[in-house]
Amino acid sequence: MRRLAALVIALIPLPAAADAALTVYTYDSFTSDWGPGPKVEAAFESRCGCDIELVGLADGVTLLNRLKIEGTESGADVVLGLDTNLTAEARSTGLFAPHGIDVGGLALPVQWTDDVFVPYDYGYFAFVYNTEHLAEPPASLRELVDNEDGPDVLIQDPRTSTPGLGLLLWMKKAFGDDAAEAWRSLSPRIVTVTQGWSEAYGMFLKNEAPMVLSYTTSPAYHAIAEEDDRFAAADFEEGHYLQIEVAGVLASSDDTTLAREFLAFMLTDEFQSVIPTTNWMYPAAMQRDALPDAFDDLVDPSPVLLFDDEIVAASRRAWIDEWLGALSR
Amino acid sequence: MARRPEPVAGSTSGAVIAAAVAALAILPIAALLARAGTLPDFAVWNDAYLLRVLRFSLLQAGASTLLSVAPAILVARALARRPNLPGRRLLLGLMGVPLVVPSIVAVLGVVAVFGADGWMPLGRGLYGLQGILIAHVFFNLPLAARLMVPSLEQVPAAQWRLARQLNFSPWQAFRHVEWPALRGALPGAALMVFMLCLTSFAVVLTLGGGPRSTTLEVAIYQSLRFDFDPGRAVVLALVQLALCAILALAAARFTLHRASEIDSGGIATVVDNPTARALDGASIVAALLVVGTVLAAIVVDGAGGPVAEVLATASLWRSLALSAFIALGATTLSTAAGWLIAASAARLASARRGRLADLLETTGAVVYVVPPLVIGTGYFLLLHGHIDLDRITVAVVIAVNALTGLPFVIRSLAPAMRQREAEYGRLCLSLGMVGRDRFRVVDFPLLRRPLGLSAALVAALSFGDLGVVALFAGAGQATLPLLLYQYLSAYRVDEAAVVAVVLLAGCLALFVLLERCIGGARMTAR
Repeated sequence: MRRLAALVIALIPLPAAADAALTVYTYDSFTSDWGPGPKVEAAFESRCGCDIELVGLADGVTLLNRLKIEGTESGADVVLGLDTNLTAEARSTGLFAPHGIDVGGLALPVQWTDDVFVPYDYGYFAFVYNTEHLAEPPASLRELVDNEDGPDVLIQDPRTSTPGLGLLLWMKKAFGDDAAEAWRSLSPRIVTVTQGWSEAYGMFLKNEAPMVLSYTTSPAYHAIAEEDDRFAAADFEEGHYLQIEVAGVLASSDDTTLAREFLAFMLTDEFQSVIPTTNWMYPAAMQRDALPDAFDDLVDPSPVLLFDDEIVAASRRAWIDEWLGALSR
Repeated sequence: MARRPEPVAGSTSGAVIAAAVAALAILPIAALLARAGTLPDFAVWNDAYLLRVLRFSLLQAGASTLLSVAPAILVARALARRPNLPGRRLLLGLMGVPLVVPSIVAVLGVVAVFGADGWMPLGRGLYGLQGILIAHVFFNLPLAARLMVPSLEQVPAAQWRLARQLNFSPWQAFRHVEWPALRGALPGAALMVFMLCLTSFAVVLTLGGGPRSTTLEVAIYQSLRFDFDPGRAVVLALVQLALCAILALAAARFTLHRASEIDSGGIATVVDNPTARALDGASIVAALLVVGTVLAAIVVDGAGGPVAEVLATASLWRSLALSAFIALGATTLSTAAGWLIAASAARLASARRGRLADLLETTGAVVYVVPPLVIGTGYFLLLHGHIDLDRITVAVVIAVNALTGLPFVIRSLAPAMRQREAEYGRLCLSLGMVGRDRFRVVDFPLLRRPLGLSAALVAALSFGDLGVVALFAGAGQATLPLLLYQYLSAYRVDEAAVVAVVLLAGCLALFVLLERCIGGARMTAR
């Protein structure tokens, strides 16, 4: 028995980089073989001549929760993968240091003034459809919500999913105080509300509904990776809700200089050019004409909708309760 | 003055393990409470949202249990009565497979069968309680049947002989021979299924159609993730725990422990007639359909994917190795702990300390319903700053899986263990047979089949576990289910379908292998 226990302990694989110069907490899909992680890691390592370690956690929300628990004793130097719905709460922990980087030359559709977080990519939420199954998608969120004969949709739960929360904010931006009414009106055409994006998108690909809540960039994946041009995102008159993904330096880092170098590296071509076909988002610091061709055909939303992050932090709970009330009838 | 009960010899080790298990589950809850700072509001009955969630949780779990367990009785009976059925072993192995299927794969499998483009389209009718029940029956009918088969196989040949001499009809034989045997395993199996359905999460959300279908587990997840409100998470976790503890103790009261005479051996010939044969045949075919169609849909999906490309990736094999390692580690830990608990409970029961025995078994079983996210977050709170958790992730995953698997071990071992103790306990004592000798001569030969089953169940469960804990800490290397999720979250649905098939095949291999190695080659009645 004791020999067995020793064997078990001996076999537990330990990550190699115990003494990495820089530890980056990020989300799991960033670090997967086909995510941006491996390329980004190699590029920065050859640049700094040092060893960096990417630690992949479940998602942005988990990143923030882990930081809340670790406080100033966090093993991370950089946190990469929070989004604009989480930045207010993340800032209020007081764990982050100002980035000190010039963010004037970004390619974001909005003015970036945050002095703590640096954006690395962005995207817009959208309803994606298969053009062979749906000839005339709704032209606006209003039409989607009001037209009783309109297409069914698959959406995600705002309590468990980032796109789900995105749609909640989108509806709030478009309908304001009438959002609850709009949800009730849409409700008969919601096939189901899934826990995460993967379930909804998987079900959409199995033709469970003609439309799914995803990103305007989703059709680019099908066009580039699968050479399949059938997919498109519906362009809505009210505009589309924006999600910006950011990174920040922890004040408790042993080497804030190197950590800031990493943030600056994030905005270089070497990092930015990896993003479109690995994370399937728009790089935050790369002009549109440098993107792969398939990105030219995507919906270019106007106007761009975004709540101030402080408003999201303050109202999220009440808005989710409103959503629950509207859909639980 | 009340007589102080004598300590029961041989019951300490199990009691210590049960106490340790309870402590392991309570510690993270305490850590979350400490983190919350203030005492949370325990008045859940003032919260309309929670009451609705609680009502729905109980409704769907209760209905799922009924629909899974009642047909499972017929299936278990058919399998127990037909030890020479061709392909029986493969069928029993297949029935362990749903346990390993990650919920997202099961959901997509159910959609492939019953969805708009499916083989048996139900349209929008799929979404709602109906869809939840379909998925839960797929997961739990086979499990419940598996847990009940051993009890039915334990019916002594002498009883069947007597039944035939008395000219019992199949119904009378069921009533007087099989039903009393079933009562040893049925309450435990039903409780197990109820706990699995109560804590079901992705299936309920996705097939439930909307936030009307919210379970307590979802509320816990919400409070700990999006709201990071440890106090509320603790309150909800305790409500869930208390609910299951009450049900578990009630189930223990309904369990009938038989101290039958020592079996004279020989192959049992069951009471049979053409109607009974038809019923058994129909039950087995129906079970095959329930399990088979969804599994087939998953396999068909995977076979159409880029099989060669995915099989050629190194990460697939690394993930497979890691998952197998985790499964075997968790199985070793879990069966060892479960054996000690069940053995001690059996000794207590044979010393007429049934209540204490029930408590021991219940403790080992209900820790299952402490949500993994609560356990993970709690331990992270306790250990961060002392140990670099990212470096011991695999060990933590093994430990949590062992804990999760414990109720499966106890449910399959405990009934047989009590019967063995009643039959051979005194004999062993009078022969002075203890420790290794007893294990080798008496315990292992008599209990190897339920032991094999429990090892196979824990292995399947851990093999398919996503490892919420690993998501909280950095995983380093992805487990097989995590790899599947990574594919899915990167649009790579076809690759994910291939991984799903590898997962199923690996699980089936592990299941059959463990059951055969530990349980012995022959599956016929003793």
